[in-house]
Amino acid sequence: MTRPKRRTLLLAAVTAVALAASACGRDSGDGEAEKGEKVAQGKASGNITVWAMGTEGEKLSALADDFMKENPDAKVTVTAVPWDNAHNKIAAAIAGQQTPDVTMLGTTWMGEFAKTGALDVVPPDFVKKDDFFPGAWETGVVDGTSYGVPWYVETRLLFVNKAVAEKAGITEAPKDWDSLTQAVSDMKTKGGAKWGVYLQPGQTGAWQTAMPFVWQNGGEVWDGKNFTLDSPEATEALEYYQSFYKDGLSTKDRIPDGQQEPKLLKGEIGAFVSGPWHIGLLNDLGGEGKYELWPMPSGSGDATSFIGGSNMSVFKNSKNRDGAWKFVSYLMKPEVQVKWYETVNDLPAVQSAWDDQTLSGDEMLKMFGDQLDKAKAPPSIPTWEQIAAGLDTELEKVAKGTESAADAAKAMQAQATSIGTGG
Amino acid sequence: MTSTLDTRPESPTPAERGERARRADLRSRDHVARIVLHVLLLGGLVVMIGPFVWMALSSFKTEGEIRADPPTWWPHDPTAGNYGVLFNRLDFPTYFTNSIVVAVLTTLGNLLFCSAAGYALAKLSFPGKRALFLVVLGTIMVPSIVTIVPLFVLSSNLGLVNSLAGLILPFLAQAFGVFLMRQFIMSIPDDLLEAARIDGASELRIYWQIVLPLCRPAFATLGILTFLASWNNFLWPLVAATTEDKYTLPVALALYAIGQNQTRYDLLLTGSVVIVLPVLIVFIALQRYFVRGIATTGLK
Amino acid sequence: MSRALTGWFFALPFAALFLLFTAGPVVASLLMSLTDLGSADLLHPLGVNIVGLDNYLRLFDDPKFLIAATNTAIFVVVGVPLTMAAALLVALGLNSGLVKFRALFRVGYYLPVVTSIVAISVVWRFLLQPDGGLVNEVLSWVGINGPNWLNNKTYALPTLIVMGAWRNLGFGMVIFLAGLQAIPKELYEAATIDGAGKWSQLRFLTVPMLRPTMLFVAVITTIGYVQFFEEPFVMTRGGPLDSTLSMAYHTYNQFGFGNYGYASAMGYVLFVVVVLLSIAWFRLLRNNVD
Repeated sequence: MTRPKRRTLLLAAVTAVALAASACGRDSGDGEAEKGEKVAQGKASGNITVWAMGTEGEKLSALADDFMKENPDAKVTVTAVPWDNAHNKIAAAIAGQQTPDVTMLGTTWMGEFAKTGALDVVPPDFVKKDDFFPGAWETGVVDGTSYGVPWYVETRLLFVNKAVAEKAGITEAPKDWDSLTQAVSDMKTKGGAKWGVYLQPGQTGAWQTAMPFVWQNGGEVWDGKNFTLDSPEATEALEYYQSFYKDGLSTKDRIPDGQQEPKLLKGEIGAFVSGPWHIGLLNDLGGEGKYELWPMPSGSGDATSFIGGSNMSVFKNSKNRDGAWKFVSYLMKPEVQVKWYETVNDLPAVQSAWDDQTLSGDEMLKMFGDQLDKAKAPPSIPTWEQIAAGLDTELEKVAKGTESAADAAKAMQAQATSIGTGG
Repeated sequence: MTSTLDTRPESPTPAERGERARRADLRSRDHVARIVLHVLLLGGLVVMIGPFVWMALSSFKTEGEIRADPPTWWPHDPTAGNYGVLFNRLDFPTYFTNSIVVAVLTTLGNLLFCSAAGYALAKLSFPGKRALFLVVLGTIMVPSIVTIVPLFVLSSNLGLVNSLAGLILPFLAQAFGVFLMRQFIMSIPDDLLEAARIDGASELRIYWQIVLPLCRPAFATLGILTFLASWNNFLWPLVAATTEDKYTLPVALALYAIGQNQTRYDLLLTGSVVIVLPVLIVFIALQRYFVRGIATTGLK
Repeated sequence: MSRALTGWFFALPFAALFLLFTAGPVVASLLMSLTDLGSADLLHPLGVNIVGLDNYLRLFDDPKFLIAATNTAIFVVVGVPLTMAAALLVALGLNSGLVKFRALFRVGYYLPVVTSIVAISVVWRFLLQPDGGLVNEVLSWVGINGPNWLNNKTYALPTLIVMGAWRNLGFGMVIFLAGLQAIPKELYEAATIDGAGKWSQLRFLTVPMLRPTMLFVAVITTIGYVQFFEEPFVMTRGGPLDSTLSMAYHTYNQFGFGNYGYASAMGYVLFVVVVLLSIAWFRLLRNNVD
């Protein structure tokens, strides 16, 4: 990338400042869904810069090499970015106009970055919505417009200690709330576990454990216009969450990162809620065969879980928009998605990729696949992270018993409404 | 007082007997103090180095053992695997070079600029001196997370993004360094400098030949602290680098060790050991300057 | 050369770099705090509404901010003197000439400063475990039933204060050692000849001569503690029930939510607090002319 001379940059900066100053004040925006521009046919060419986080960033160059074989005129450069503070890094890059062509984004970041206006709209018909799990596709939709394409997904199941469950006399996974409570209770009284289950008692990320209960009860976080956190379904769900702590089935103390796994394998806790990455972690600790997976139970609604993962987005000021989208759509081919799973164990966001033997043949993975059909994500609004933090605070009070479920629901609703959707 | 020529042993006078008793008393008190001091410091030492030793030992354990509950001390099956993974996956030479170049240049630059400015603030008078010092002091107090975005926009406009210069320049003039040097230089007696001025030495000469040599302990301190801060700096090198070849070690380590939903403690701790070693080397090399012995003030 | 020019000549390289790279962004973030800049405005930062002191006023309505401010105040008021006293004692001990293997002690006491906070958190978590942890073991010998330190709303913050002192005393020790070294030996010899005992020498010679260094350690430790972030972030995530939420942590969260204007305002409040505390320290430990 050529670096313009300092003076030119300064001149540009001054001009930009002058122009921006003359345009002081925000645009109101028309609130209509935008349509993406079409992408030209043919092979990709030119430079394509990609940012990806963590292991995905490390290993993406393998897929990039395959892409370059198919598109000899294209040159893909992948920069791996640490997850730690990645959100701040991308924000700074947008502010300093130093963004790449393509970037990976966490699903909960979509609303915020879409609102910056820095992301390009997903081109229609180039990447097809129906190929993906509906919950996953929704994570990329902000205000009715699609700004990101789901790349890989994850969802949550109950990881259960086999021996404890057997000892407790549980023969099949509980299907609804009452049977789950019974099962957990048996694991504590008959199965020999100190805690029947570990549900994160508030603090960062607890909403990912608690919100599914709301969905399982037929409730919603918001209905497209208003927040519905204090609906009767949501309140009931919070009561259900609180019941585990009240009845002594889950510890009220946060178990620090890294200690859940040994405690599960030892049988100190009967079960915890987590995602597919724990398969590898537990097996590494010698837990292979010692645990099993249970799907989410249903309340008054569907047996829903949380869906997360990462999306791929293209920046509006990309100099190679065509190439960028072609690379993104390459990553979404079912066979590439399978290859990606084999490389880093990330679950494909494309539904047809799951027909492949690698995934459908593995029992545990199949359970995740089935759950993905019934998994939801929070609304893709720019203020989600802040609202979620508020939820976490109230959830801690609920778990520790300093607040009733009804009061917590009201507090959550009030906070969310006052924070708003940043529209 | 007996003269030195007198070799006849004398029976001690009461005064001398008292003096000897007092000295013996002091010696035994010294002895007790010595033992007590050693015990206390030793006890404290064990508490101090405990976690570090655990960290170093854990770099030879597997992820499973590190997560064991309760934690283990000695590795059950010592393995250098973590080091292997780290050095194979990490482009270690590049990251190490970047870190070293940035840390060394930042440290040397700070030693020079902060001692010069510290000297001016401590011993010279010029208009705006007080204001400058207060402004400098004030900025130490702004949390860095808040200034990261404006700093990045500034660097972008100056063309400094994704360059080593961009990693060094923003940290070449540390408010903290100026503050430290000012305080140290304030304790240099004014008479010393006045004498040199009367002798006709220029300010530059006074600074170079009198002030700087006296600052050795301060330089050791500032050197260690600046090197440590620069070496461990994570947020700015993360934001300022747009390609991997400009990453420093802490950024690279976070890349491999911290995932979206999980942390690889084996790599994290091993990486932490690797990252800490140069700092320790610098510290051990410089800490002898804390030993009394360079006491010369020229006040004779 | 006139005195004024000389002064500026020495200060200039520092001042230039400082004004550009440090003062510049600081002023920019001050301006940010007077607007409602959010992440949506990243591409058009000048297109924001100026809200004046609104962000600052909002802070006082924010219950979390008030909790964070209280926690930070406690941490500073208790932690700074504790850390300084510990650092000074160790430095005096090592400098007294009574101790062998000084280098080993110097390096050892400095290790917590350079050890990764992750390693520290794991070991301390182990020590602080309610049943089986070393701390509660020792307490049980004297008949005290120790609580679940890090998960207890009352004890979590004091635990972090002690950890902070433990971790940072090496820093103070290093500065004090340098400061002690700078006191001419001759002064001690003269004092001994004059009949002053060790204790008097400490009170009337060492401590006064250490004033500039004590001021430095006091101010820097205070600044560090007002901004304390890593310990609560790694060990307790601000909990339980926000009892270890610090102002810096709250600012970091707000910045992560994209509330840049609001977060900058918080940063500035921290700034003002530290300036006030530093002025207090300067008054207390003002360098009397020898």
